[in-house]
Amino acid sequence: MSIPNSMRVGPFLPTVLVKKRYLIFYILIVWLSAIPLFVEFWVYYRFVWSPVRPIFFFIYLPLLLLPMYLTLAFFGMFWAKIFLIIVNWIHSPREGVFLRDPSDRDYRFWSLRNTIKRWPFWVCHRFPFPFLDNICFKVFNVKTKFSNSLFEGWVDTEFITFGKNVVCGQGAIIQSSVIIGNLLIIRKTIIGDDVRIGSHAIVMPGTQIGNRSVLAANSVTTVGQVLKDDWIYVGIPCKEFKQNWFFEDNLEDKLGVAEDVSALLGKYEKIITKVRWTENLTLKERKAIKRQQKEEEERRWELSKEMDDEKQEDIF
Amino acid sequence: MLEDSQENDSIVMDVPKDEVLKEEINMPFGWYTLIFIINYYLSWLLAGFIFLSYFLIEFMPNVLQVTSFITLFTNPKSIVPLLLMPLIVIACYVIRLIFVGITTRILWRISERISPSKDGVIPRNIKSKAADYYHLRSFMLKYGKNLFTKGMFPWLSNWFFNFVGSSKIGKGTTLEESVASDKFVTVGRNTYMGVNATLASHLVQGIFGNIQYFRMHVGDNVTMAAMNQIGPGSEIMDGSYLLPLASTNRHSVLKGGHNYYFGIPLRKIFTKKTMNYLGITEEDLEKNENMEEYLKKIKLNPPKKQKKDKIIESTKIVTTEVTEEPQKEKIDVEKLSKEDLAIDFTTSSAISRINIKFLIVYVPILWLAGLIISIFWYEYTKGAWDFSNQTNLINSIFKNISTILFLPVAIFIMIYLFILGVLVFSKLLLILINMIHLPKEGIFLAEVGNVDYDFWMFRTELKKIALWFLRNSPLPWADFIALKWFGVNMDSSSHLYDAWCDVDFVSIGRKVLIGQGATIMSSMVIGKYLIIKRVVFDDYVMVGGHTTIAPGTIMGHDSVIGAISSTTYKRILDPNYIYFGIPAIPLKENKYAEERRDIVVKRLVDESKKAEETHEVNIDEDKRKFIKTGDDE
Repeated sequence: MSIPNSMRVGPFLPTVLVKKRYLIFYILIVWLSAIPLFVEFWVYYRFVWSPVRPIFFFIYLPLLLLPMYLTLAFFGMFWAKIFLIIVNWIHSPREGVFLRDPSDRDYRFWSLRNTIKRWPFWVCHRFPFPFLDNICFKVFNVKTKFSNSLFEGWVDTEFITFGKNVVCGQGAIIQSSVIIGNLLIIRKTIIGDDVRIGSHAIVMPGTQIGNRSVLAANSVTTVGQVLKDDWIYVGIPCKEFKQNWFFEDNLEDKLGVAEDVSALLGKYEKIITKVRWTENLTLKERKAIKRQQKEEEERRWELSKEMDDEKQEDIF
Repeated sequence: MLEDSQENDSIVMDVPKDEVLKEEINMPFGWYTLIFIINYYLSWLLAGFIFLSYFLIEFMPNVLQVTSFITLFTNPKSIVPLLLMPLIVIACYVIRLIFVGITTRILWRISERISPSKDGVIPRNIKSKAADYYHLRSFMLKYGKNLFTKGMFPWLSNWFFNFVGSSKIGKGTTLEESVASDKFVTVGRNTYMGVNATLASHLVQGIFGNIQYFRMHVGDNVTMAAMNQIGPGSEIMDGSYLLPLASTNRHSVLKGGHNYYFGIPLRKIFTKKTMNYLGITEEDLEKNENMEEYLKKIKLNPPKKQKKDKIIESTKIVTTEVTEEPQKEKIDVEKLSKEDLAIDFTTSSAISRINIKFLIVYVPILWLAGLIISIFWYEYTKGAWDFSNQTNLINSIFKNISTILFLPVAIFIMIYLFILGVLVFSKLLLILINMIHLPKEGIFLAEVGNVDYDFWMFRTELKKIALWFLRNSPLPWADFIALKWFGVNMDSSSHLYDAWCDVDFVSIGRKVLIGQGATIMSSMVIGKYLIIKRVVFDDYVMVGGHTTIAPGTIMGHDSVIGAISSTTYKRILDPNYIYFGIPAIPLKENKYAEERRDIVVKRLVDESKKAEETHEVNIDEDKRKFIKTGDDE
């Protein structure tokens, strides 16, 4: 509910600045969006100021500050949007795996886009009203509803689609772009209706979360993972834990508690680790199972490769 | 376990609170105040002066006094000051940042000269010069750090850390916002640290434990995706790539060299697995390893057109067909097993759906609070600013020198008057609301229309404003006032300013330390239901960084829960134990608490008994032990 004081939690814009001259755009947007403020102040001053009774000016001054703030936010959005349209027209944003190097065009433009969008998002998030954030998301083409709660996590600002009634937990990170090594991976993230994302969970780019499913606290998805409808996912990386029955009616009295925590830990570990030797198996049987798993893995690997090839053929 | 709860409750109550005479560790608060005043005063002085003089000399007569809207834009004498005004504001802001940098640097240098920061183990609860200066330095850095990383120009924060000398950050490196990674860290070039990734050069082992303080080294070209926790004394060599949440213990060494790490605690993962996790092809990996060669190749034969084959075209959406969603079968709730309905996982409660109704409440609160400072400003400037006589400008500035010199103080007073106003008015409203509907624990439907849910949301939103302003104010440490006022049982000896915390149904004992980026929830949304249950921390409890505490958790006195752990609903943690893991399980006994409690707390005991107890803290031995084992975090 209350955000740590040393972080500006909210819509996440990477501070990567590939070239210093991108800051010119930033300052330009700040400058353009601040001019209407002072015009507004002039109007207020004209109407209310009188040297005889200056107290009226000061009484209504706090009321003026709210519209002034809104003006700043909306003009910031307006100018950033215009700049963004021009930038996207020069080079349209796209998904893929890019190089984290100034020579890569996509990387440069990704950084430029983030620099342009920073000012409106910063202004909108300086205030505890969540609705300005939502408007800002909508302006910059993130599909979201006003019923979503995205205020207390880091949510990327492009290539994300939300359903309705999504709850993004405290300190959760929802990404559509990630830097790993010299690669910048951008994939579209899709999140369904009624999804609950736990606190400190990380959603990697390309993840698709189905309706009414849960990603528990401190869990991570992998790139391009698909989470089914109506399931609870736990683990690093997350796996299916159990079916989500918590959307049924009349459960108020029936909800229980995890009583044996060490057993629960075992349960978690069982999900996370692939090999389970709970039964008393002979060495031969274990070997057979291992071989089978290996074959299975290889088969899947080949399959995924083939699928990739098919995809490429489709494009041509 | 349920039966246990009552037993535990009695244990919790057993600590004789009234017998505590005095606690020995006290932070040097006098010094804190002095440092803050110097830093704050100098930061505003020049910036405030420039802004005010521009406003009064240029803006006021040339823009505000213009009567017609059209001449405002046609007359160059008025349009130029109007257009320049935003730039002046930006310039003042930057000047302020620079001044904070300079003062922090001077103060930092002085403190380094008196007691240089060096590797080592500092006992937290024993008064020493090293511990005092350690705390002092973290305090003096915090103001600048908050200003830079949360402000308009986060790109300048690298400059700040380098300039102050708290850590060395190479060129081309980006550090996203994080709770720590501010001091005693060396970072190489072209490194990227994702959001909430923490380079913790210090680590606290419980209230009675030690502070581990070791220099960290991060090489060139290292990337951390997000939320990585790196322990003190770790060395990360060039070219280590950390996937999200990959975390290390203290004193770990990553060899780097284009290797990928994953997990808690992190380990190297194979290429195949990397490709699986990241959804990339072998070609991309090759590019990653021999990037220079790849770039050369491109330079020699540039691609004619953007080849599309290297790009995964938009993710295929796996939709469950929309063709008239089949009526979901009603499941017989009775048939569900106990295990199906057990809450053995943790989610979150960050519902911030704002109703337009709430805005009606916000506006009067802000107006009334703003009215106070507005009148204060009127009184402060009354008659002081008479610049009507343009010829005697310098004279009038000299006349008003006291007004200018006290400007930073006035700004400080105004900020806190405003926050106080917000606090008082929201508290009044809260009392009203609680009279209409008493907050209570339990399980409720999380749907609009449910009375408990609606009022819970209303309370949350109402409490949020004051807390938000306090935590963004120059002294975020003061947030305990708001927490206390809004119904958290706590006092000023506990710290939770770097954590997410619910403000309903939380009880916190004495000297509790909640770690950086931890989440304390007394409410949780599970599917359709909202669960509200009291969270209790007894005295001397410590919660590690990035830990999630679920509703209903009760922590006994002196217990510690490690970093990146989580508890489940209604979990009871025994006193005097160290817990760790997801879900948290007991790791070992908290030996420091046994050994050193009496140094911290002086109780009413026989003098003869007291004399018998001797405390030897052999720091060298301690240090050796930690470097060897190091299994808890």
